[in-house]
Amino acid sequence: MTPPDAGARQNAAIDGDAAVRFIVNGRPAAVAASPLTRLAQVLRDDLGLTGTKIGCDAGDCGACTVLLDGRQVCACLTPMGQVEGRSVETVEGLRQDGTLSKLQQAFLAHGAAQCGICTPGMLMSASDLLRRTARPSRAEVLDAIGGTLCRCTGYQKIIDAVLAAATSAGVDSPPVGQAVGARAIRVDGIAKVAGTESYGADAIPHDALWLRVVRSPHAHARFALGDLEAVRRAHPGLEQILTARDVPFNGFGIYPDIKDQPVLADGIVRYRGEAVLALVGTREVVMRLADEVLPIVWTMLPPITGVDEARAPGAALVQDDRPGNLLMEGGVRCGDVEAALANAEAVAEIAVETPFVEHAYIEPEAGWARRVGDRLEIHVTTQTPYMDRDEVASVMRLKPQQVRIVPTACGGGFGGKLDLSVQPLVALAAWRLGRPVACIYTRPESMAATTKRHPARIQARFAATVGERLTACDVDAVFDTGAYASWGPTVANRVPVHAMGPYRVPNMRSRGAAYFTHNPPSGAFRGFGVPQAAIAHEAAMDALAEQLGVDRLEFRHRNALRVGDRTATGQVLHHSAGLAACLEALRPRWRDSLRHVAAFNAQARKAATHRRRGIGIGCMWYGIGNTSMSNPSTMRVGLGRDGTLTLYNGAVDIGQGSNTIMIQIAADALGLPMAQFRLVAGDTDRTADAGKTSASRQTFVSGKAAELAGADLRRQILRLANAGTNAALALDAAVLTVSDGETVRRIDLAALAADPDGNVLVGKGTFDPPTTPLDADGQGVPYATYAFAAQTAEVEVDLELGTTKVLRIVAAHDVGRAINPMQVEGQIEGGIAQGLGLALMEEYLPGRTENLHDYLIPTAGDMPLIETILIEDGEPLGPSGAKGVGEPGLVPTAPAILGAIAHATGVRLTRVPVLPHRLRAALQAKPGDRP
Amino acid sequence: MNNIQYVAPQSIDEAVAAMAAANGTGRVLAGGTDLLIQMRAGVVSPGIIVDVKKIVEMTTIDETSGGYRIGAAVSGAVIGEHARLKKAWPGVVEAINLIGSKQIQGRASAGGNLCNASPAADSVPALVAAGAIVTVQGPKGRRDVPVEKIHAGPGRTTLQPGEIVVSFTLPARPAGSSDAYLRLIPRTEMDIAVVGCGVSLTIQNGTCTAARVGLGAVAPTVLLVEDAAKALAGSRLDDKALEAAAAACRAACKPINDKRGTIAYRTKIAGVLLKRAAGIAAERAGRK
Repeated sequence: MTPPDAGARQNAAIDGDAAVRFIVNGRPAAVAASPLTRLAQVLRDDLGLTGTKIGCDAGDCGACTVLLDGRQVCACLTPMGQVEGRSVETVEGLRQDGTLSKLQQAFLAHGAAQCGICTPGMLMSASDLLRRTARPSRAEVLDAIGGTLCRCTGYQKIIDAVLAAATSAGVDSPPVGQAVGARAIRVDGIAKVAGTESYGADAIPHDALWLRVVRSPHAHARFALGDLEAVRRAHPGLEQILTARDVPFNGFGIYPDIKDQPVLADGIVRYRGEAVLALVGTREVVMRLADEVLPIVWTMLPPITGVDEARAPGAALVQDDRPGNLLMEGGVRCGDVEAALANAEAVAEIAVETPFVEHAYIEPEAGWARRVGDRLEIHVTTQTPYMDRDEVASVMRLKPQQVRIVPTACGGGFGGKLDLSVQPLVALAAWRLGRPVACIYTRPESMAATTKRHPARIQARFAATVGERLTACDVDAVFDTGAYASWGPTVANRVPVHAMGPYRVPNMRSRGAAYFTHNPPSGAFRGFGVPQAAIAHEAAMDALAEQLGVDRLEFRHRNALRVGDRTATGQVLHHSAGLAACLEALRPRWRDSLRHVAAFNAQARKAATHRRRGIGIGCMWYGIGNTSMSNPSTMRVGLGRDGTLTLYNGAVDIGQGSNTIMIQIAADALGLPMAQFRLVAGDTDRTADAGKTSASRQTFVSGKAAELAGADLRRQILRLANAGTNAALALDAAVLTVSDGETVRRIDLAALAADPDGNVLVGKGTFDPPTTPLDADGQGVPYATYAFAAQTAEVEVDLELGTTKVLRIVAAHDVGRAINPMQVEGQIEGGIAQGLGLALMEEYLPGRTENLHDYLIPTAGDMPLIETILIEDGEPLGPSGAKGVGEPGLVPTAPAILGAIAHATGVRLTRVPVLPHRLRAALQAKPGDRP
Repeated sequence: MNNIQYVAPQSIDEAVAAMAAANGTGRVLAGGTDLLIQMRAGVVSPGIIVDVKKIVEMTTIDETSGGYRIGAAVSGAVIGEHARLKKAWPGVVEAINLIGSKQIQGRASAGGNLCNASPAADSVPALVAAGAIVTVQGPKGRRDVPVEKIHAGPGRTTLQPGEIVVSFTLPARPAGSSDAYLRLIPRTEMDIAVVGCGVSLTIQNGTCTAARVGLGAVAPTVLLVEDAAKALAGSRLDDKALEAAAAACRAACKPINDKRGTIAYRTKIAGVLLKRAAGIAAERAGRK
């Protein structure tokens, strides 16, 4: 189904490729290229200017934005014939004599780059504006950057940075002992704003062979392969065509006991986009070879398209050994739900439906592998290097130590890069051919082939009684896990635990079940099913508050889980349960907004306009780390003989900022400044396992390990210097000074014996959050700590059109402690953008939305003003009291928006996204007043 | 794989000759924002690409005795920066400026948007409302065609083999005239219209003396809705006239159900946008 790359190098066949002459960043360039070769390709492949990124190759994302004669254009849509004689500026041209431009500095100072993949394009879009208008308005900024998509930041900090570019000043690195809590700039930020950061597609060796995956155009079919060897012979440059037979162990999957997804399908495909063959050869040949040329004989089979079909009696099986198409189910039971429902004063019944949602990171999957003796080395964009290592080893039937994963910079993950993509394929090809092999997914391929957020059907009943107390919760959540298991079990387990919401509910029954279908595999996506479940519990809270005649915020405040409360799994919360504090922080703004909204609507009714406003509220809780499973992290801090101070950090920074967080924590624990730290990140040969970047766990788990490692190194230094615990450290080249009151001891590091890494002292820390398994009733301690949050959203609905504009969101989050408030805000703002997309526009339909113009994600102009309030109810287990915030930002947003729409219109929608035609239809179905 | 030829002629005659010689395998390249994507997806595989960006007549805007002649390959960004054109035809300019993102605007042209023949093309309903005349040149010479006659169906035009769209001519118009274009999409920018509506009208002494209405994304081609124009013309754009025009728009709709909207929704919205676009055009024309 992947189309041949008709835009690739074959156009170079035209008329001997006369040189195209043009100016790049002020210097003349001449490139032998066909007039139809696209500028993006020439910049990256011929001129090595890989700061220009390719996110979609179709003009939809803006990642490749450059200036052509001073005007922003997509380099992916600009043919070289139209570049002749003109001037091109790329991100590499923004730095003058090695000094960052004011705009680049502003991006750093404001935290405008997270993963950084959109940053070069964003900088060029903003440069276009700033050269015309030095001090633009916010509206002008939104207009200028509107064509450049960012999936991480929610755009707020980018907008702030562009507005501040004229006046931006550098930010000093925090002094010793004051790193935790500082708005420190990213330790890896300069490369991101300079365009020198190396992502999965940026540093592929020149001699690498290329691999293209041939994928199924059908959701369910059998296939037979004809004479592939004849095809290979007919296409010089095509080295191998890999099939299922070539894979040593042809199954992978997240869970140790569920390796159900083939690397290459073996005679049967179970979803559109499944990998069937891998073509390996020169880039030109594998990209040009059309799928139609390949002898694949398809026998179409009827697909199971959703959970209703999957659960129907006698349904055909997606996987033969999975009766009833059930992947797994989990549940929590406590108290007597039926009795509580029978005695309730108010009962809310809610039915929720959510679709597939695509991660839409701007960097498609990419990487390359090479064989080094009897080892494999894989450079890849990933969220989980150690799991990749073990998984590739399993597929290749090698020992884990024979596989080295070197993570490249990751251009966004959000859970989608927790599963294998290119890794086993490039590994297999490189192993067999003894040459480097690279693979870059196209955008349609990335969208069709990789995992999605689980579509959910949730039935919920919540009950409350006298005193407005919640008494019962009965939730049944069914998920479409697609063709293969991936992270389905995690979703089926996590949702029942969180199903009652962040409230005290004495009687609870919840069930989560995941079913196989012939849809794309559902995997991990920011929140693991909890965002879907939150739509149900928050709709129920609004309904109960309305039935009981109480304010929606106050009803939540009354029932909020607090320290000392027992959750539905029987866990007593001993610390850090700050939902009530979040709601108290929101309360004055909530009351103001209720008044403003009422006044606006009164005016609108009087003037007979079609606009109505509403305000809604959403709350959430989220268990940090894996559910009832060990998930340890180990960190090391090394002090080198030459005075280098190195954090060996196996926690992959996918944009959220963990590289910076870890150094902030380790610096204060050790007592040296952040600025003296060097980072070794992710490489499985050089760092210890810090687990996956998932489940909002890196700050809490790996951060604690970094704190312990820093403290361990400090202890060793103090012992060496025979100094007291309050001694001050100073590192100057290879001399470490330890000052303890009057006593000053200088340690000549060069005189000490070093380990193979050149370190004379190494501090080590390991942390595994304490949890217990859940019993048959789901009772136990699934998580060591929980994040809490509440958000309010104010919307304006156009009753005639059914359109919704989110005007303002106020987000109050209990994060335990904000290690870096700027980055915490960035996580929340980015989460809100994804929550807004979930609520209003995102819906992945296999075969119909496999690009970024049919699958819509929020642009800068879609985002409301966001105010973030950080509540710091410290978690004693966490580093300096910190918990996690990666996923929590997203969870309350959609419920708050849906509540606001209901407040504005009187219509409660629980099917997302609330597309204009759906809202319009719901408004028309509303009894009484028809707009 | 056949090699693709590329030519970048300086004159329309040369361009037409190249297209004629291609025996139907020629494709015009202006900004390339549709063509390059279609080539990459394997949807089209031209034998020859005729780059028209070096032809002066196709890349310039001229004022012609009160009207405007816009080269078919002028980019949206250049059109958006033409202050007098924007004042005279704000609806046409806002419609062209809604094609894609800022980056696309730097490349995409109204000629390309027309020839791509999407029923949801943003510029076309506004050009239809404006009464734009398209100058077409082919092997048999030049001809002028009303813009609404160009679309034949999704992706199909009435252009003859070898014909090239050279320019659009917007007529001179009396004082008290203006236009507006509105489209509905679920996000703020960069999407394909669910419905698009262009309205052009002239108001004298509070009465609408002339009107034209174009509707997009509600039928296989962009529609000129003459019944809606009739309902507006002669009226004072009162609620009754607007509702009659909206009803005419709804009656003209033959939309599809798809992920962006249902038949019922698109039909309803066509009427809503007509009323709103007429209101904006009337304000711009100086009503009150």
